Amino acid sequence: MSEITLTINGKQCKGTQGDTVLEVCLANGIEVPTLCHYKGLLDIAACRMCLVEVEKERKPVPACAYPARDGIVVTTNSEKIEKYRRLVLELLFTERNHLCAYCVASGDCELQSLAYRYQMDNARYQYAWPNQTTDSSHPNIVMDHNRCILCGRCIRTCDEITGAHVLDFGKRGWKTNVCADINQPLGESSCISCGGCFQACPTGAIFSKISAYRGKPSECTSVESTCAICGIGCDIHGLVKNNRVVRIDSPDMTKPRGLLCEIGRFEPLYEAADRITTPLKRNNKGQLVNCSYEEAFEAIAKKFGTSDGIAGLASGKASTEALKAFADLMEKLGSKLVDTLDGDDCRTITQGIAKFDGKSGLDIEAKLEDILAADSIVVIGAHPTKTHPVIASYVMRAAAKNKANLVVIDPLRNPFTFRASVWLKPPEGKKEIIIGALGKSIVDHLPAKTATASNKYAATFKDIDVKKAGKDLGIDVHDIVKAGEVLAGSKNGVIIYGSGILQYKDAELVATILNLAALIGDKPRVISLKRYGNSRGAWDLGLVNAKGSVAADLAKCKASSLYTLLADDLTNSQELADSMKGVEFAVVQASYRSPVTEKADVVLPSLLWTESKGNYTSIDGISKKTVPMVKANAAIKADADTLKEVAKHLKK
Amino acid sequence: MAKVKVATVWLESCAGCHMSFLDVDEFIIDLSKLVEFRRSPITDIKGFDDVTVGIVEGSVGNEEEKEVIEELRHHCKILMALGDCACFGGVCAMRNTLDKEAVLKRAYIDTPSTYKGKIPVAPGVPELLDKVYPANQIVKVDCYVPGCPPEPEAIKYGLTELLAGRIPVVPSNIMRFD
Repeated sequence: MSEITLTINGKQCKGTQGDTVLEVCLANGIEVPTLCHYKGLLDIAACRMCLVEVEKERKPVPACAYPARDGIVVTTNSEKIEKYRRLVLELLFTERNHLCAYCVASGDCELQSLAYRYQMDNARYQYAWPNQTTDSSHPNIVMDHNRCILCGRCIRTCDEITGAHVLDFGKRGWKTNVCADINQPLGESSCISCGGCFQACPTGAIFSKISAYRGKPSECTSVESTCAICGIGCDIHGLVKNNRVVRIDSPDMTKPRGLLCEIGRFEPLYEAADRITTPLKRNNKGQLVNCSYEEAFEAIAKKFGTSDGIAGLASGKASTEALKAFADLMEKLGSKLVDTLDGDDCRTITQGIAKFDGKSGLDIEAKLEDILAADSIVVIGAHPTKTHPVIASYVMRAAAKNKANLVVIDPLRNPFTFRASVWLKPPEGKKEIIIGALGKSIVDHLPAKTATASNKYAATFKDIDVKKAGKDLGIDVHDIVKAGEVLAGSKNGVIIYGSGILQYKDAELVATILNLAALIGDKPRVISLKRYGNSRGAWDLGLVNAKGSVAADLAKCKASSLYTLLADDLTNSQELADSMKGVEFAVVQASYRSPVTEKADVVLPSLLWTESKGNYTSIDGISKKTVPMVKANAAIKADADTLKEVAKHLKK
Repeated sequence: MAKVKVATVWLESCAGCHMSFLDVDEFIIDLSKLVEFRRSPITDIKGFDDVTVGIVEGSVGNEEEKEVIEELRHHCKILMALGDCACFGGVCAMRNTLDKEAVLKRAYIDTPSTYKGKIPVAPGVPELLDKVYPANQIVKVDCYVPGCPPEPEAIKYGLTELLAGRIPVVPSNIMRFD
């Protein structure tokens, strides 16, 4: 990349060959007003706000799309240019119904602030007053075409960042509008509700329902934190007003782990369930009643002191600090019956890895960024669009932008299937047959040189009959062959699997997937979707019981007492409550009332991740910190502190 | 020095701009020494005489308002549009996305609280225009103080500049559209 020198407003400015004039301006601290430009997106010169004069050009040119060349002379602030920009603003204001007085974005609107800047106190043109609609069919997002300036930032975000490409321009010319899918209401479209569109929108054309009118950014305090919900560890930028999170944005959507999803963007804005605010103790009538921390600790110490077997269960929703304190408590109690709620997943995965190469452990798993660099991706037994939507976005981006070959193995249609190079639809179960057949098919298509190199892995599949497998599964053999063909040439393929595989608790299956991954890359790159935000953190702490699930046979394992660290976990609570039937004395530490707390003898309150400081380990092993966004009820102790207090009260 | 004559009119709007004008606090005392208010909703003087400054609040949405603003323009040397409605159409322009008949039907017949409604047609009831217009689409306007309502600061700035013999353009930091 060669360096170039431009003259901008009489100043010598350095840039790199390939930069646009706007990029050189911004790099040299020269401000140019923009609307359709958004960091990280392709520039399309839609709004004409960034018009600049370039010597020898016949007319003003948009800086965002004009390639910077060595020696050109640019003027960004002449009277003529400023006049044009004001004119552009007047055209934008008269084109649609931009009425700030009743617009949700007023005060937080790029169009409005530019109008202020250019002192646009009237518009000289006839207003068009088009009869535009407002689409509020979506549960979280409203699209108000009255305020749209057709800058296309939402569309480019939806396509380039989210990878969904639900939004695009519909119709032509004067009637052009942003539309979802083939002009369907947004709520009925294939929108994945990531909210990237309203974050990118410079006006009030797309906005979040729940955040609307709850506080402008200027009235809010902002907190940089990490989303702890699903284990991807996305950076978040929370806006807080009156101790409530009113909006969650991404600090930089274009960065890795900068993209947000429906869960991260909206879930923390809703109060999910009945909060527990004080410790509770079961009285002699069998009801849970409020009590002090001291009473609760005493009750626990008394029972645990006499109990012969104490089991401990922890949810991967808790922070690493809380889990560490939990592990210490269990050690002090001398309990061997410690497990996480997703312990089965961990056992299956680690045993599978052990079968594959005997040693590497969870670190063999790929990083999330590998998905973006992948030349082929296999998704099997996983629904990241539901559980880990950001991973789904990465897959869709890789498929759309890098032309990665996507093979989806799923009996049901999902948002991936229409992007897939091959979509295999085996019936439920029989995962080993389809993986085996796919492996064999890849081996068949491997170039001779690679075939020898990956011989070790190829050998696993050598005895498989693809035709028979196709027959057994009831799917077209040609599809399997084609899948093998597209995957065979891959250099850095990634396999993503999740609950659809892990539910069988079959380590062999995981080992086969690793073998398959070794065939489509220079090293096996697999990503297993873990259930909780800090699953990996809990696993790394060694909280998983090596022998088998504790929760599954609480009745059998002779534990008369149980300590459950649930934190803000609400998943599977009925299942867990059912398995607690045989336990004499149960302590539950949780944020919300649930069937599990109803079974408890002592309940200790727990903070939400939005209220506490903690570390969370992402599914690919990266530790990230959360920062409290809102002030918690002062009466509730932090999880780790509660656990330490419990340990302190024990007589032993 | 003779006082500068000012007339203000209140067309299709909520009167918020006039209220915001009264919100300029003690400046109003200084102003009253320099300015004489002629026709205005504040003085309740009807009928026009020649003035130096005309101030229009509100957009133009019916025949009467059109007549009033044309008359004001005829009688004043400098016309100032005050507030979003006069500058851009404002809240009143909400109806512009629909045609006149649909608006009248909605207001007089379809509203849930209306029983056996009908669209009023009587001599003396001014006819609605097809659209609501900002002042500058009906007559020539010389200066603008936008806002819904405009900041008292902005109004003060506008009047001070006019009294100093300059055409005001509200500076960015006190300009507001909401």
